[in-house]
Amino acid sequence: MNKTELIIEKALKNPVTDHVVISYSKSETHHIRFSNNSVNRENLFKLEEEVKAEVGWDGRTGSCRTNDLSEEGIKRAVDKACETARLLPSDPEYMPPVTEAEAAALKDFKPVFSEPSDDRKYGILKDAFGELKKAGLNSAGSLSSNPYTVRVYNNRGARAVHHNCVSAFMLTAMTGNSSFKDFHMSKDLSDYDGKTFLADIVARTRLSENPAPCEPGKYTVVLGPAAVEELLLMFLWYNLDAKAIDEGRSALSKRAGARIAGENVHIYSKPDHGRVGLYPFCPEDAMPYPAFDMIRDGKLASPWYSRFYAGKKGVTATGRVPANVIFKGTDKPLEKLISGVENGLYINSFWYIRLVDMMDGIFTGMTRDGVFRIKDGKLAQSVNNFRFNQSVFEMLDSITEIGREKEMVFTSIPPITVRDFNFVSKTEF
Amino acid sequence: MEKLSEIAAYLKGKGARFADAREHLFHEREIMTEDNRVEQITEQDISGTGIKVLYNNGWGYACTSAGDMDSLRGAADKALALAKYADRSAEVPVELAAEPRHTAKFATKIKEDPFAVKAGDAVGALLEAAGVMLKGKDIIKAVSSLVLRNMRKKYANTEGSAIETDIFTILPEIEATARANDEVKTRHYLPAPMNAGYEYFRGIDFKANAARIAEQAREHCFARSCESGPATLVLDPEHLSLTMHESVGHPTELDRVLGYEESCAGRSFATMDKLNNFRYGSELVNLVADNTLEGGLASIGYDDEGVECRKWHIVKAGILTGYGVNRELAHKMKMSRANGTTRATKYSDVPITRMPNLYLAPGKKPLSKEQLIADTENGIYIEGRGSFSIDQMRLNMQFGGDAFWEIKNGKLTGMLKNVVYNAISYQFWRGCDAIADESEFCRAGFITCGKGDPMQAAQMTHGASPARFRNIMVRRAK
Repeated sequence: MNKTELIIEKALKNPVTDHVVISYSKSETHHIRFSNNSVNRENLFKLEEEVKAEVGWDGRTGSCRTNDLSEEGIKRAVDKACETARLLPSDPEYMPPVTEAEAAALKDFKPVFSEPSDDRKYGILKDAFGELKKAGLNSAGSLSSNPYTVRVYNNRGARAVHHNCVSAFMLTAMTGNSSFKDFHMSKDLSDYDGKTFLADIVARTRLSENPAPCEPGKYTVVLGPAAVEELLLMFLWYNLDAKAIDEGRSALSKRAGARIAGENVHIYSKPDHGRVGLYPFCPEDAMPYPAFDMIRDGKLASPWYSRFYAGKKGVTATGRVPANVIFKGTDKPLEKLISGVENGLYINSFWYIRLVDMMDGIFTGMTRDGVFRIKDGKLAQSVNNFRFNQSVFEMLDSITEIGREKEMVFTSIPPITVRDFNFVSKTEF
Repeated sequence: MEKLSEIAAYLKGKGARFADAREHLFHEREIMTEDNRVEQITEQDISGTGIKVLYNNGWGYACTSAGDMDSLRGAADKALALAKYADRSAEVPVELAAEPRHTAKFATKIKEDPFAVKAGDAVGALLEAAGVMLKGKDIIKAVSSLVLRNMRKKYANTEGSAIETDIFTILPEIEATARANDEVKTRHYLPAPMNAGYEYFRGIDFKANAARIAEQAREHCFARSCESGPATLVLDPEHLSLTMHESVGHPTELDRVLGYEESCAGRSFATMDKLNNFRYGSELVNLVADNTLEGGLASIGYDDEGVECRKWHIVKAGILTGYGVNRELAHKMKMSRANGTTRATKYSDVPITRMPNLYLAPGKKPLSKEQLIADTENGIYIEGRGSFSIDQMRLNMQFGGDAFWEIKNGKLTGMLKNVVYNAISYQFWRGCDAIADESEFCRAGFITCGKGDPMQAAQMTHGASPARFRNIMVRRAK
């Protein structure tokens, strides 16, 4: 037990009230950012340790975060949280801390990783800069590794700990008039295959050069995993809160029991996935995340329930945000999806997605870093970027093909083929 | 301050061309209410020191939350080691613009320290506003929030500057959601966020505005859909704060223009070859950057690379005339000094070029908002912020709003719904043919402007008088 843990345990031995939750987080971020084929932006190392104290007082809760981890600092945070709670009116949605028995249901996925060395990280970049320069391309992006630990303690005996690492190499390669983006995410980059990754991005970026003008309209599109993730998460975030649904503030409020997606769509959460997800429990209160289906057989299977609202409705709490989001894929590679389209577009990623109409689940956004015409099952000419205004319900109900999942930090998402995707305008590049 | 100066000197002794150390205390209280309950109230007290090093032509940054010399030296060594790695891949020499040595202090002018007031005071005011909103017909949700922030910094660099700043920020907002006529609509009241003391919060009339937005949220549910097609828009200052933020503020950050932000925030159409010759807007359009604006969210006296905050034109009489420029890139503009708009959110963040306080200068001829609307035969009047999206070169933009009214023969004739407009950014500003005068000028602003990698949230003020824009493509949201 380190010094901070001892201080926290001491604070919980004689808690200021019958509701004290102390969470402790430690992260070591090494983040290397680059542009114009050199490390010339944020190039930083930060070790951050914080404690968050949550104190309940007669049916209300206050909290305080600090990075002063001395005994006095943590005591001050607990006292501040307590003082805040005492000032508040009674909270009808007050929830006592998670019990030891509830926390015992936790199934940690205990990730195995070996943090990459500085030489390894800068070496990956050196190779990338070399390959891209050789190909006459420019680059921008980041390479990062972030080992972290989260511990949650409370005065009811619950103890939860999770140690994990997220590493990512994000690379945008550019010609003089186009760009293509790809990424590799894993625990520690030990599975990064630079030769294949760089050869692929060089080929795609060259293909992106000199985009041809293309008019907006409805197209059959193959959406890459990043594009699907960006739009899907936005939709889920806005619409899956159970309380909002019941209060009529979600697009799902008026779709109870209705078809909201094709029957081929299965979206679920699996906390013990092992490679996808940040925590197996809620880092605020140690509530273990459950496995559950969100969308299955074309219908809403389960929305997201907070502990309070789950208790009220007599269902299992999922957390206000689940452990992870998995869109069930198939064994079809992306190329197979492209080969199935006679005339359409391939969209690598989206940018700046925003809600346009809440109740009908309509979102807008731009394509970015890779838009290609698909002709006779092959990527043909690169084209200009588009703006879309698209109902996600209609998108989920118009998926004709689903490909192989790609694992990202919080998600595992496949590419998909969608009919009649709605592009409303184009831009100048 | 002595420790920070000592660390800068320590790094100079180890061969650094330039180094600075920034002690940064971040204290924030955030209150969020939902209907008649306090959903969340949190305090944050996060402090530490960030150390930035330039070794030959490579930058490194490291930080520590501990204040003892051993920890500071440890962070300094780490920053230097990273800078040496970066130097190996450096493509161009780094040239830092000169900045006078400053020994200075700057503080927000406040009468009442927000953190000396018990949280219960603000909770009471917010819940009272919620109570008013919930009394509105068909109101199903009343939400409010308040952010109180204090940032205290000490800064020292190898050039001998020693600067202390003490900044207080207040950001309140309330919103009402109505459900009626098979629609759900939300209306907001966003008093201008300010660098100010608690006295500013006490002066806000939440009750009257709570009743107003509750009524307008419901009215919006019964509004008729707009027509699609080219239209004349009259936009209020709060709405314009978002359009200028996205279509002027971001594209004129010089680091973006030069490709440094390509991988995340994107680049810009407003390239340097367009400086002093590109028509960004009509001749009426003057967009002024001003980090000396009293109470402005980016008015911090001296920025996080020790540069004194300044005022300059981004667009003058419609022509692109300036950028937000840091010390490293000033020479690209042949500027002898940066303009003081480099900031970091917390001690663990690297200071980067951030958007300054930016406002649309009021029209010079007397013109009230009422006169502006009366002078508009047909159009749409938009208040507040709604959906917003723009491409990574800052060209194709689409905006909604918080509330919309039809203008017919110079009069507001009723609310509209489902309004979004879509334009190429510079064409939008070229369509500006009238701006109300100074008496109508209002501020707005943000504390959540995202940029950087890792992402940082910055704050800045915007301002405008209501303005009119011709021939803008309006679409129905659905």
